[in-house]
Amino acid sequence: MTQFILHILAHVFIFIPVLLGYNLVFGRGKILHFGQSAITLVASYTLWVCFMQYNVPFLVSVFLAFVFVTAASLLLSWLSLRLEPDGLGVMSIALHLAVLAVILNWQSVTRGALGIPRIPRPEFMADLPTFTLVVGVVGIAWILVIWLINRSSFGRALEALAEHPWHAGALGISRGRIHSIAFVIAGIGGLVSNIFFPMYLHLLSPSDYHFPAMIFIVMVVIAGGPGRVWGVVTAAFFLIFLKEGIRFVRLPAEIIGPVQLIMFGAILFVAVWIRRKSVFPPQREV
Amino acid sequence: MVLVGGYVTWWLHQSAGMPLVISIFGGLVTGALISWFTFEVFIRPFYKLHRFLPIVTTIALSMILDGLILLGFGSRPRSILPGSKEMMTVAGARISVEQMVMIALTILALVGFAYVLHSTALGRKIRAVVQNDHAAMSLGIPALLLHRLIFILSGVLAACGGIYMGIDTNLTPTVAFSITIKAYAAIIAGGRGNFWGAIFFAYIISLIEQLLVGVHWFGAFYVPAGFQQTVALIFIIILLIIKPAGLFAHSSRTA
Repeated sequence: MTQFILHILAHVFIFIPVLLGYNLVFGRGKILHFGQSAITLVASYTLWVCFMQYNVPFLVSVFLAFVFVTAASLLLSWLSLRLEPDGLGVMSIALHLAVLAVILNWQSVTRGALGIPRIPRPEFMADLPTFTLVVGVVGIAWILVIWLINRSSFGRALEALAEHPWHAGALGISRGRIHSIAFVIAGIGGLVSNIFFPMYLHLLSPSDYHFPAMIFIVMVVIAGGPGRVWGVVTAAFFLIFLKEGIRFVRLPAEIIGPVQLIMFGAILFVAVWIRRKSVFPPQREV
Repeated sequence: MVLVGGYVTWWLHQSAGMPLVISIFGGLVTGALISWFTFEVFIRPFYKLHRFLPIVTTIALSMILDGLILLGFGSRPRSILPGSKEMMTVAGARISVEQMVMIALTILALVGFAYVLHSTALGRKIRAVVQNDHAAMSLGIPALLLHRLIFILSGVLAACGGIYMGIDTNLTPTVAFSITIKAYAAIIAGGRGNFWGAIFFAYIISLIEQLLVGVHWFGAFYVPAGFQQTVALIFIIILLIIKPAGLFAHSSRTA
């Protein structure tokens, strides 16, 4: 039981940076994009391919991953400025599909569907309690950072742009600058999560980054209340407990996957129904 | 709806042993009924609050349907007409009889839709609702009824696509997702609301996918089949960066 609780806690704290990063863009900024998994894929594969396949030192690999994830985030940010919102939503999914296809097919570098095995953990966090403690500290630090960002002038500018882009622009708020920063913060969140996630599993597998993984992120943000930091953290605890707990229900292995899909589809629908007025709130009258 | 139409037709024909025509009819009717249900439960209550909410609710629905299809039919590929097809040679190209029938039926459907949209009162009402539903309603056009009709028709056409796929190749529960994304990409690239633009880009995406593999590029290399989809999607993304509203976009009228 203790192992299970630590497993859930480790999972929640690992995912908090990517979830809160996406919450900043989708929840706070109301930017309809589903490309967070694409950015996360870029981050994790750059880092672990450099480190595991080409023996690049770890910190240099992290720096390279940061450069690539910033570039990918800026590309998505640029798309968000150019495209209509629903066009961005669909083309960000297209970008995700494209990145995933490259990873699955560029086998000489990424090892395709097999993923990258035997990813090591640093010795000081080799056991589960210490690993959970470390990711817990990182997760809590990330919550505080996002909480402060939300309350900063940047957070208010992002919210103003979400409510009234034209009026915000008239007040001197640069949409391009604010969106770029928001996407880069979300990208860094993805990078932080993916420093620890493959370490935790000792494996980087592309199957962990398929579209249902993206929908899980959307679901947590909507269920927790778009833009709310503590709501998203609470929803992450509840939904990750549900996601991991279902593995212990005595069902045949081939049924668990479809049951998870149906369950999360239904939860997403109910979450949108409950939050139907706050996911994309109507414009305030000025 | 692609999967619903295809799998229902497969089940009626292969499991229940019904004749192909009745099975196809069953697939189309089921596609229409599920589309109607989708419109009433997943679209209408949300669309009036914000036009982007149905994007999220229909993603939830597609997850539920994918899960149900996986539970009901498994992940094995299913073919409505398994076995080898009778091939013919037309202008040097090898094509099956089934493919020729499908192409002919698609052209017929397109001509029918073009006629209804551009030459009938119903088509004019539909275009008016698409351009400005409030203005259309003020002129006595039943916008909600037409929205429902358009949605059900789109579901029937999607089911038709699934049936084609099940006849020509085979169906798997994962195939519909990328088709949906490519279809939406074609609609955006063609310019929203532009019927012919969407058809043009649907053809372009398929053409890029097919041309890419099997060609010895610059006499030096072959592109692996796995990159087919990536190249087509990246082409559309680049096109949209250059022309965000789509290639054949026309400005909509405002009331």
